[in-house]
Amino acid sequence: MSNEKKNGNAFTNNPIVRAVGAQRIVVLIALIVLFAFFCIKSPAFRSYPTLLSILGYSYYITLMAIGVTFCLITAGVDLSIGTGTVAYSLIGGYCVVTLGMPIGVGMLVTILLGLIFGTLNGTMVAVFDLPPFIATLCTMMIVRGVGSIVSGGMSVTWPSVGTPQGWFRSIFRIQIGETMYPIGFLWIILLIVIMTIVLNKTKLGRYIIAIGSNKEATRLSGVKVVKYHMAAYIISGFFTGLAGIAYAATFQAIAAAGGAGLELDAIAGAIIGGTSMTGGSGSIVGTLIGVFIMSMLKTGLPYIGLQANWQQIITGVILIIAVGVDVIKNKKLA
Amino acid sequence: MKKKVLATLLTAAMAATLMAGCGSSTSSTTTESATDAPAAATEAPAEETAEEPAAEEEAETTASAEGGYHFEIVSKGFQHQYWQAVLKGAEQKAEELGDTINFVGPNTESDIADQVQMLQSAINQKPVAIGLAALDTSACLDAITEAQNAGIPIVGFDSGVPGAPEGAVVANCATDNYAAGELAAEETYKLISDRIASADGAVRIGVMGQDATAESIINRGLGFIDKIAELAAADGHVVTIEGNDKYVSDSKVEPTDGANVIIEVLVPAQVTQELSAIDCQNLLSKSDTICIYGSNQHSGDAMVTANQTMNKFGSGDGQVIGVTFDSGTAIKGAVADGTFAGAVTQAPVAMGEALIQTLHDAASGKTVSDVDTGCQWYTAENMDSEEIAQNLYD
Repeated sequence: MSNEKKNGNAFTNNPIVRAVGAQRIVVLIALIVLFAFFCIKSPAFRSYPTLLSILGYSYYITLMAIGVTFCLITAGVDLSIGTGTVAYSLIGGYCVVTLGMPIGVGMLVTILLGLIFGTLNGTMVAVFDLPPFIATLCTMMIVRGVGSIVSGGMSVTWPSVGTPQGWFRSIFRIQIGETMYPIGFLWIILLIVIMTIVLNKTKLGRYIIAIGSNKEATRLSGVKVVKYHMAAYIISGFFTGLAGIAYAATFQAIAAAGGAGLELDAIAGAIIGGTSMTGGSGSIVGTLIGVFIMSMLKTGLPYIGLQANWQQIITGVILIIAVGVDVIKNKKLA
Repeated sequence: MKKKVLATLLTAAMAATLMAGCGSSTSSTTTESATDAPAAATEAPAEETAEEPAAEEEAETTASAEGGYHFEIVSKGFQHQYWQAVLKGAEQKAEELGDTINFVGPNTESDIADQVQMLQSAINQKPVAIGLAALDTSACLDAITEAQNAGIPIVGFDSGVPGAPEGAVVANCATDNYAAGELAAEETYKLISDRIASADGAVRIGVMGQDATAESIINRGLGFIDKIAELAAADGHVVTIEGNDKYVSDSKVEPTDGANVIIEVLVPAQVTQELSAIDCQNLLSKSDTICIYGSNQHSGDAMVTANQTMNKFGSGDGQVIGVTFDSGTAIKGAVADGTFAGAVTQAPVAMGEALIQTLHDAASGKTVSDVDTGCQWYTAENMDSEEIAQNLYD
């Protein structure tokens, strides 16, 4: 810390900047600049419904990203979150729509599946020392297959607004009179606060960070690393389950065997938000901002009339810049 | 002790992997074994390979007089309920004719290699005829040639087997997707012609395509675009097109200045609900948009999602006319409550029936020809009629 202070400048020595972290400030500014840019370029973009949907489409990615941040901090990764989100909500929806269970049970099933496969990931990585990339890549395929088998390869649509069981969709967006309110964002903020406290103020969080910095040293200092290492993946699984519910509430038919690639949005969001891929540091608030950069690009680029292929190029370039800035900054510090 | 625990866990993990590995083939058999007679009969050939052919040939010769053929059918999978309806039609017809079928398909519509394997094992069963909806013709080419050499006729269905070698595919049973797109355009134009005529400035018609690669999706888009443009031009309007390059260059409409009808085609960067919903929202938020057409269930679902925040679809003043394709819970709901003006459904049940009939005819040596299995326009008024309802699915 003192070293950093000595090398810092007026910007990095500012108490607010130091509290939030220079990387996050830069990313936050980038987010605001992006938002302003799209607002100026497209009148349709600067409207309340657009804002509503940017929020709406970001919930499931944010939830996945909060969870995977814990894995990334242990210097691992969880690739099963994308197909997991879709598969868990597919199975949960199958319970509700085809088997006729109450919606609450469907949601519980969705979360429970997340916990089960999170535990499986944790066991493989923490107990058997499988490389996280490989272990979770396998789970990614397994959950995809399981989802398809359970639903018989068919897509499932959770009850829609206006039907008796459709109330669950208002967990994330509620309509009072003519106006819709994105109350899902409240839950996200609440979870961000809770998980920030968990990460930074509890034994669980501190040990997870310690494992990411130096697993061997953490073990030698008497910490039961297996338990805490596993916990990171269980957290990731739990949040994937939550993401499954958010996904089901936002979209219509959930296609079997879908979801591959969604994990990359979440992981990219976490990395942009300043979580180190080599482990040992990260922040939940940063992840939230990172995810919003991704969402902003996804929504904004079509609005300014860019065709599909260009959207992908621009997104790729912006990600390189965002991560590149972090790498260069770290090199300077070292 | 620790070793034992480890061994148990490893075994469990292996078992889990095995189960997952079987996923691709079991998913189709389970759907199929849920049905009765034909499924039971087809289970056997999958297990035996060596002795089977001789016995089967015998069965063929005895059966050919009064039906009782066995057909191998390789579909694109069961990811969409649409395929369940095709299966239903095929089973109904097979039962009626006294034939047996083995209806298989890969896990998802991108598992091209899996489908080639399925086709290969279908040929190995030496059936009298094969039904095929190829995901990618070029990948299936070797197998198709093999079937041709073995004298097994192939009947294409759904998107068929475009570009197959001459003579290999004896007939196709498919929706004429271009004509289906035209049907959507004709029905849509009735609803918007007054609006175009009375508009102060230019009006915009949005076209949403899931992708610009699948033949069926492209043709439904182009059929709609060309027909709308033709009808509008006949009324003296000037039409232009913008958006996705593939659609712009393949349609009959030329981009022109000073047009009063703008057709805008949007295709997402990836096939996700989110990106398609954003595309739809983008169209809905333009003040000159009077109508949006989505060319399959994916696009239709995305239109429903976008409308949850935008709330702009409807038939009233200032609202946007929504027209889409296929069905599914969300689309059916939107058509029923008037959010969407209507949709085009294919006739998957009829397609399944036509497929079996064609296979049956081909097997009994009759000459067969292509069958257009048709499509229907449905609205809140007629969607409950039996003719339509059998082709709609959740």
